[in-house]
Amino acid sequence: MNCFEVRQDFPAFWRRELLEYRRAEMNAHLGQCSKCDAAFRTFAMTAPVLHSEHAPQTPAGSGARPREVALESAARPASSARVNYSEPRRWLAMCASAIIFIAASTGAYLAVTPPAASLSEALTSPREPSMQDLFGPDTPDLSNDLAG
Amino acid sequence: MLGLAASRKFGWRLISKPDEELIAEALGGESSAFSELATRHRARVERLCQRFFSDPEIARDLTQECFIRAYTALASYRKEMPFGGWLRAIVTNLCYDELRRRRRRPEELVGDFSAMEVQWMHLVNDATPEQLVSDAEERRHAHDLAHRLLDTLRPEDRTVLIMKDSEGMNVSEIAQTMGWSAAKVKIRAFRARQALRRESERLQAAARRWSS
Repeated sequence: MNCFEVRQDFPAFWRRELLEYRRAEMNAHLGQCSKCDAAFRTFAMTAPVLHSEHAPQTPAGSGARPREVALESAARPASSARVNYSEPRRWLAMCASAIIFIAASTGAYLAVTPPAASLSEALTSPREPSMQDLFGPDTPDLSNDLAG
Repeated sequence: MLGLAASRKFGWRLISKPDEELIAEALGGESSAFSELATRHRARVERLCQRFFSDPEIARDLTQECFIRAYTALASYRKEMPFGGWLRAIVTNLCYDELRRRRRRPEELVGDFSAMEVQWMHLVNDATPEQLVSDAEERRHAHDLAHRLLDTLRPEDRTVLIMKDSEGMNVSEIAQTMGWSAAKVKIRAFRARQALRRESERLQAAARRWSS
């Protein structure tokens, strides 16, 4: 790494976004080059504001001051108070929903399907299947009523 | 179905609409669409305000003000520009105006440093780069000291530095956002870095004197 490349990578180094080998090269260069080392120390003075992704937590008690403004709902919507779930948890929720849906569908299908043994027996019997064969022994025999 | 129900119940956003669609709905009178937009961009806007002002309350107020301005000016939004970029232009101009309103002249770096700030300056002088990176994130006083250093800059210098370094904008983008010429942006960036280097060296020298 030359001096230009090193200085270009200061922000990524600060945010820990460099790959391990690149980070090691950076450390090695800063250990050897006094000008880049001085530049990095100057950079580090303002980097907590200019290059950090998150501001440090404010001390307790310095919460939001109430302020009535028009269109407050637009600027500070109620939904912002909700828990902000990360992407993996969303995927987990989607997978769980899919599994529950598949399980429920399978259960419903099995519940309405008649037992296979009695059905095959009914279909393969030489005589015409009766109502009891098809729908169980408790089914009243309506064949005479239908014929009448 | 269950996923949709869960997303409604717990606020998970499994299916998100693009910004342009939400803007169209907001312009059609759907207030919840703008709320969704504000929620989506709020953290980024607030973080940008925090780069201008160390006081979190000022940053929060400016964030709120930014969304109010965006809401009232939504009809002027053009689809050619990403909504995030449009919002960034609003918040940058808002913060720049606020910087100018609060302080007409840059402040001198005053010499009353807390023990923790002096400790941080010693670290900046003596620690290895790795130690600096790992320590800085957790240190509130490193953040405060950085703000004090940036407070010594003129409002336009600070604005250019934030837009260039933090937001990664190029000269023409900054010029367009601020309504300045490209030459002015370049000059301000150069002078900002010069001033920052000078003040930083002064600060480190002061820390060395303090310890000896």
